[in-house]
Amino acid sequence: MNASVSPERAALIQRLHEALDALERGDESAMRAEIDALAQARTRPLVQGLGRLARELSQALGELPQVPGEDHRNAELDDACARLDHVIEMTEKATHRTLDLADECRSLVEGLRAEGVTDGQDQVLDRIRHNLTEIALTQSYQDLTGQIIRRVAGIVRKVHEGFSELGLPPQEAANDSFLAGPAVEGLDRHAVSQVDADALLSDLGL
Amino acid sequence: MNKNMRILIVDDFSTMRRIVKNLLNDLGFTNTAEADDGTTALAALRTQPFDFVITDWNMPGMTGIDLLRAIRADEKLKTLPVLMVTAEAKREQIIEAAQNGVNGYIIKPFTAQTLEEKVSKIFERLAATA
Repeated sequence: MNASVSPERAALIQRLHEALDALERGDESAMRAEIDALAQARTRPLVQGLGRLARELSQALGELPQVPGEDHRNAELDDACARLDHVIEMTEKATHRTLDLADECRSLVEGLRAEGVTDGQDQVLDRIRHNLTEIALTQSYQDLTGQIIRRVAGIVRKVHEGFSELGLPPQEAANDSFLAGPAVEGLDRHAVSQVDADALLSDLGL
Repeated sequence: MNKNMRILIVDDFSTMRRIVKNLLNDLGFTNTAEADDGTTALAALRTQPFDFVITDWNMPGMTGIDLLRAIRADEKLKTLPVLMVTAEAKREQIIEAAQNGVNGYIIKPFTAQTLEEKVSKIFERLAATA
């Protein structure tokens, strides 16, 4: 065969030969020992790899910066999922603050209009009001990013649980009601656009 | 379209409820109420009169699709128009919503114009079939 065969391959060939020899001469315990040795050789890199992944994951989680804040509970944010939940809370607060300010500006605009303005100024006020609506609508990012973060937190939780159980990789839970959440550009190919959705609904008689 | 109709906005994210409410206000609809999942929405629908429901799909507790099914299965609520506003953008999900009797479907993120169009379309259609 090939002269430049790798040591792993050579060892595998030898083990297989020995297992076959043992089988042929009816030495069952020797054959079993060879098969076990083969199985062990095959699974060792996998187990080592999983062990390394588990170590790296817990290191990465441990190395994440503490989230600063006035709340004492923040000091207890000791796992990645709690940090991600905290991101949702922070963006939620910031979003409400932005919406508060946009609301305030809208009433300022209406107050100004009520005092009497020229046609030109009226058009500017319309434009400002329109932009304030767009600013408010843009804040829907908080819902969408929040949904993505919750999904990632779920994955981290599953990986964590998987590693803690005998070092096996996590099992994919069979879940019929699985929802994909917001489509991430470049990652998800399942999504359709509003135009596609409209066409589909129209086909369905809506 | 009756601008005084009572609208229930259902979403687990308070920011999204507020955004939808603001957009509806801009369109002249000021009679709104909010619920944070299907269970609280259904409780509100069974105790107060509503004319229209705008709901998210993915919510903890009762989801939007289960809320839709519950509404269609309820003798008193079954004709209530329901608009789904959701990030779920798979064909299968849109079909599932349509099969369960949804009146409109908007994919997040959406524009003010899309919301206006879909709301008008729903009520034009209802007026035509009434």
